[in-house]
Amino acid sequence: MRLVIAHLYPAEMNIYGDTGNVIALSRRLEWRGIDAVVERIAVGDPYDFTAADVVVAGGGEDRAQLAVAADLQRRAGDIREAVAAGTVFLTICGTYQLFGHRFVTHDGDEMPGIGVFDLETHGGDERMIGNIVLDTEWGPLVGFENHSGRTFLGEGQQPLGMVRKGYGNNERDFDEGAVAANAFGSYLHGALLPKNPAFADELLRRALVQRHGDDAVLGPLDDGVERAAADAAATRP
Amino acid sequence: MLRLQIAIAAGRLAGRASQLLGRGGSAVPGLVAERIDPRLIDRLVASIPRVVVVTGTNGKTTTTKLLVGMLESAGRRVVTNPTGSNLARGVATRLIEVARRGRVDTDIAVFEVDEAAVRALGPRLRPAVTVVTNLARDQLDRYGELDTTAAHVRSALEHAAIAVLNADDPMVAGLAGTAGADRFFGGSDPVRAQMPDDRTLYGDAGGPRPGPEPSVLVRAAEPAGEGQRAALTVDGEDLEVRLLLPGVYNAYNAAAAVAAATALGVEAAVAAGAAAGVVPAWGRGQTVEYRGRRVRLLLVKNPAGFNQAIRLLAGEEPGAQVMISINDHTADGRDVSWLWDARVEDLAGTGHRFVTSGTRALDMAVRLKYAGAAAEWAEPDPRTALDRFVDGVAAGGTATLVPTYTAMLDLLHLLQPDTHRREAWT
Ligand SMILES: [Zn+2]
Repeated sequence: MRLVIAHLYPAEMNIYGDTGNVIALSRRLEWRGIDAVVERIAVGDPYDFTAADVVVAGGGEDRAQLAVAADLQRRAGDIREAVAAGTVFLTICGTYQLFGHRFVTHDGDEMPGIGVFDLETHGGDERMIGNIVLDTEWGPLVGFENHSGRTFLGEGQQPLGMVRKGYGNNERDFDEGAVAANAFGSYLHGALLPKNPAFADELLRRALVQRHGDDAVLGPLDDGVERAAADAAATRP
Repeated sequence: MLRLQIAIAAGRLAGRASQLLGRGGSAVPGLVAERIDPRLIDRLVASIPRVVVVTGTNGKTTTTKLLVGMLESAGRRVVTNPTGSNLARGVATRLIEVARRGRVDTDIAVFEVDEAAVRALGPRLRPAVTVVTNLARDQLDRYGELDTTAAHVRSALEHAAIAVLNADDPMVAGLAGTAGADRFFGGSDPVRAQMPDDRTLYGDAGGPRPGPEPSVLVRAAEPAGEGQRAALTVDGEDLEVRLLLPGVYNAYNAAAAVAAATALGVEAAVAAGAAAGVVPAWGRGQTVEYRGRRVRLLLVKNPAGFNQAIRLLAGEEPGAQVMISINDHTADGRDVSWLWDARVEDLAGTGHRFVTSGTRALDMAVRLKYAGAAAEWAEPDPRTALDRFVDGVAAGGTATLVPTYTAMLDLLHLLQPDTHRREAWT
């Protein structure tokens, strides 16, 4: 068995350790004897998203995000089709914002998103920085957030979780991230998946079922160190 | 002038008071004095014939130390700021300490300046030479984006007569033409390939040198004893440099210092010879004796610096014993995401043994596990961890500590309870 992990914009959107998400998915497949194929997709590279089982993208600097926004527009139809078909997506911070309808800067300029999630983001002055803990369907998620954009979910948009500690989408609503079909968005760096193994396995389980059917199972792993790290991180100020 | 002298006197008094209170803290005199005379630095610097500013993300402290050694070997009287005191208050404190009757009697001053502070402080120091070692992503929760840091450095360079720039670092090479004149240092292709920068973090290394052909070139560098032997070409002249400092990145620091020293009229051979006498700054490859073992400290602050330590360790004989100590206090950066940006995978298969400590001991243990170089144990408490680690090293053996900044202070306090505070504390 094999799964294809597509790493979107590894060079452009890479500054907060989000590569760790790709590492975590790959290792957790390999430890179970499943081949992990990682494909790197840069701005401008042609890519057929039906080939991917999990698509992962991270956060970057403002200049990189502009280039990525334009590139995403060209792929918008393909990505929305892949989401509709059940492909697993994990988008963090800058790419999470661009998976919404739009990013509105402080001066009122608009950077269009691709509308996978029903949300929009507004630029702010103050950055929301710190350790963050969420409660989700898959248990608590622990990470670190660092963003100035404030994200507001549309009426029916399901969040990834509710904030127990930290800011999340914005400082008002106590929600964090977004989920649509098998597409997930979040502000959690950390990297997110290595310290949250149950959530990492949820993504892998969904991807396996999509590709190999309902009887594909993920065997258990010893996640003692990961869980201890998450518990310790949750206590940090 | 009167205000300046009152400020100096008040600063010194505050310094003595804070020492009596056991606070150490070399920032206090500068803070107090600058409040009384906000132009204190400008006034005192005006009496110094020439000033050098050393800035950049990694290697500032070592480059400063090397340059000071080279200038002193050439018979110059040099004033410099102590390790890590690289903000305005640290510079002010040092100027107050050496001022006599409102003047600083020296030939030259060499100041290490924080890359985020250099925009405001650099122009006030009116540098003849500004050295930029490299620019890499560093503690994004504190420093913000790298583009912003580069803009700070650029604005400081507009006030420098000569810029000494790293030709191999794309962000630094991009600063060419900003100062009155540029002088470049760099490495030959094989040396350059061993020098991690932000591009190598993500596998985009290689390709042509981003800057022009350097005037000071590291042709080769190979380990020798606890340090290394580097072959340099300085304006066409071939020289050998012996360093007590390990790692190719320190050969770059030596090249930067030689480029600055020769720009200031020191003979290349004198500069190269002086490098051999420069001992590592605190935590930068320094080795101390502890309970019958040799303990080596390699400070890491960001992915590029971590990659330098990884590169060094990966090149060593199998079986090295390494404790990686990661803290997440403000001075370390509260965000430890950067551990995932470093090439920890390069430690897999080295045959080395790893343990972890610090407030984020477990994060580091997870990182090592996913890199295929699992830690034998993780212990957050520095004292417990250090004792357990050193007990596991054979008497007479070498132990390597790879700490972040405050983790290094914790460990130095345990390794050398009496001596470290004055020099290491900022
Ligand atoms: Zn972010």
